[in-house]
Amino acid sequence: MPSASERTMAAAATPGATPAARVSAPRPVGRIVQVALVLVLAAGVLSFPALAPNPYILSAGIVVLNYAVLSTSWNFVGGFTGYISLGHGALAGLGAYGTALLVTRAGLPSFVALVVAALLVAALAVPIGFAALRVRGASFVIVSIALVLILLLVFQSWSSLTGGSRGLVVPRPFPGLLRPEHHRVFYFLFAALLGLALLAWWLIDRSRFGLGLKAIREDEDKAEALGTPTFAYKLVVFVVSAGFTGLAGGLYALWFGDLDPVFQFSILTGSYMVLMALLGGVRNLFGPLVGALVVGIALEYFKVEFGDTQLHLVATGVLLALVVLFMPDGVLPAVGGLLNRLFRPAQSSIREVTAGELRDQRAAEAQEREPVDAGTTAGSGEVRP
Amino acid sequence: MTEVRSLATESLTKAFGGVVALDGATVEFRHGQVNALIGPNGSGKTTFFNCVTGMIRPDSGQTTYRGRDITRKAPHAIVRAGVGRTFQLCRVFPRMTALDNVLAAVRPAGLTGLLRGARARDEVDRARGWLTRLGIEHLADVEARNMSWGQQKLLELAGVLMGDPETVLLDEPAGGVNPALLDRIGTLVRELNAEGRTFVIVEHNMDLVMSVSDHIVVFDRGRPIAEGPPSLIRSDERVLGAYLGV
Ligand SMILES: Nc1ncnc2c1ncn2[C@@H]1O[C@H](COP(=O)(O)OP(=O)(O)OP(=O)(O)O)[C@@H](O)[C@H]1O
Ligand SMILES: [Mg+2]
Repeated sequence: MPSASERTMAAAATPGATPAARVSAPRPVGRIVQVALVLVLAAGVLSFPALAPNPYILSAGIVVLNYAVLSTSWNFVGGFTGYISLGHGALAGLGAYGTALLVTRAGLPSFVALVVAALLVAALAVPIGFAALRVRGASFVIVSIALVLILLLVFQSWSSLTGGSRGLVVPRPFPGLLRPEHHRVFYFLFAALLGLALLAWWLIDRSRFGLGLKAIREDEDKAEALGTPTFAYKLVVFVVSAGFTGLAGGLYALWFGDLDPVFQFSILTGSYMVLMALLGGVRNLFGPLVGALVVGIALEYFKVEFGDTQLHLVATGVLLALVVLFMPDGVLPAVGGLLNRLFRPAQSSIREVTAGELRDQRAAEAQEREPVDAGTTAGSGEVRP
Repeated sequence: MTEVRSLATESLTKAFGGVVALDGATVEFRHGQVNALIGPNGSGKTTFFNCVTGMIRPDSGQTTYRGRDITRKAPHAIVRAGVGRTFQLCRVFPRMTALDNVLAAVRPAGLTGLLRGARARDEVDRARGWLTRLGIEHLADVEARNMSWGQQKLLELAGVLMGDPETVLLDEPAGGVNPALLDRIGTLVRELNAEGRTFVIVEHNMDLVMSVSDHIVVFDRGRPIAEGPPSLIRSDERVLGAYLGV
């Protein structure tokens, strides 16, 4: 499902345009197909608990949904700004421990604790983002990894508060519920959180704020030179991302009921978020969700088939390499392109534009000098004072 | 004289390692005019632009715009103060359509402004207006990376103008463009100036410089060596010396 900005602008009537501008006519059919696909997806997600044959499968569904929320939350930063954070696992861990501690130590009701913890994570994301978002590219990735390692150390050694490596038990929010019911309720809670995260991402995607963020992804200095306060934009979206990640972590704590720093503050969690988002497509609203479905189901399958081996890590690595090599934009755009070619050979809109464009370009460039690296354009000879 | 100071610098200095790119440059451009900044390759023109627009920090010296100190301001704040710029190596957002490239220059105000749709009718009309004026309206829905060099240069300019800067800095607008386009750019600069926009143009094409500018500053080795109207600069010996090495 292309996000608002990636869709070719439905040729909002271009009067007086040259033939080259025969951009795809408005495609109401495409829009209907998109809405239908979203509805099918939603129906599939919501009917899963009724179809799941046993509680184990249902809990696997929760794990996959949790991944979907996490990678969608990650995609607020990764997708819009292009900053690849491997440290988001730590933000989920903070949400989990925050929620657990607010319940066990402060005696807050479970869901109040969840929301307060997420707000605290968002607040903490301000200084974290302030430090981390000053560097770009590989440096940012490394800073984000450092965040996970530091928090792992802190939470492991501060055992009086966290239970250390013995773990921390989180009381269940609904003590009366039997196990299958408990799973069912949490399945829908995760689905609701996913819906909320998707809604927020969609709203930003179509907004001016979102366009500014995407400008940062394309060329940060240029965006700044056009008047976008890039640092503030990055910080705000990082805080939003952290808030959703914290919510996901907290909800996981309430569902799973037992926390261990080694799993909560693991680089693997952040890596999965990145992999899922990249796999599905970071420029797409549903990219991370699709990626989570594929990777999450594969992971659960590997767990059942091969037990505690490290095989799933190898498979994950191979998958990531394949995606980066062959589908740099992710599965969704690749599949979309394929469908377009299969079903609309007569209307491959994008290529029509480019082909027409190419003609124009050729004609223009015929008279044009070689596009040269500026600076070499003019030797001193060209100056005629 | 009704001329006011536009962009001005005081002893601006910037060194890259051992290379002194700006060597105490004190320059003053004039408000409401087309100013040109010329000089041999490597004389510090682009570095000057980078310093006054906040993209890089000068080692020392001061920049003012219409009397207000902007030396330590961030680039986006300098845009807000009214100074926009293009880049020598033409920078556009490659994977955005031409229309989005222009819309990206909209500076939303407040939370409601930020959350408003990026494709609000009025802004889209304004953006298309600039694309039309630059003659690339038919490319509105084409991604910038699929456009030719000349088209990208026009697109970059459209984006800068969308931000409605009072003063526009152009770094080699004629670099690598065909003669027809060159004329178009010259005419456009003149028109926009007549509408009240101030220009500072770095350019090696002397035909363009001499035909559009009111005031010329000549750089050599990081500082101005001459300034004045085209008629004067044309025959200035120091200028000839700097360019021709005599
Ligand atoms: N980022 C940088 N790092 C190191 N040296 C630089 C940097 N930018 C510019 N320089 C050096 O500073 C000097 C001035 O360069 P600048 O690009 O400002 O010149 P210019 O007048 O714009 O030249 P041209 O007409 O070729 O564009 C040159 O010697 C250049 O090599
Ligand atoms: Mg230069």
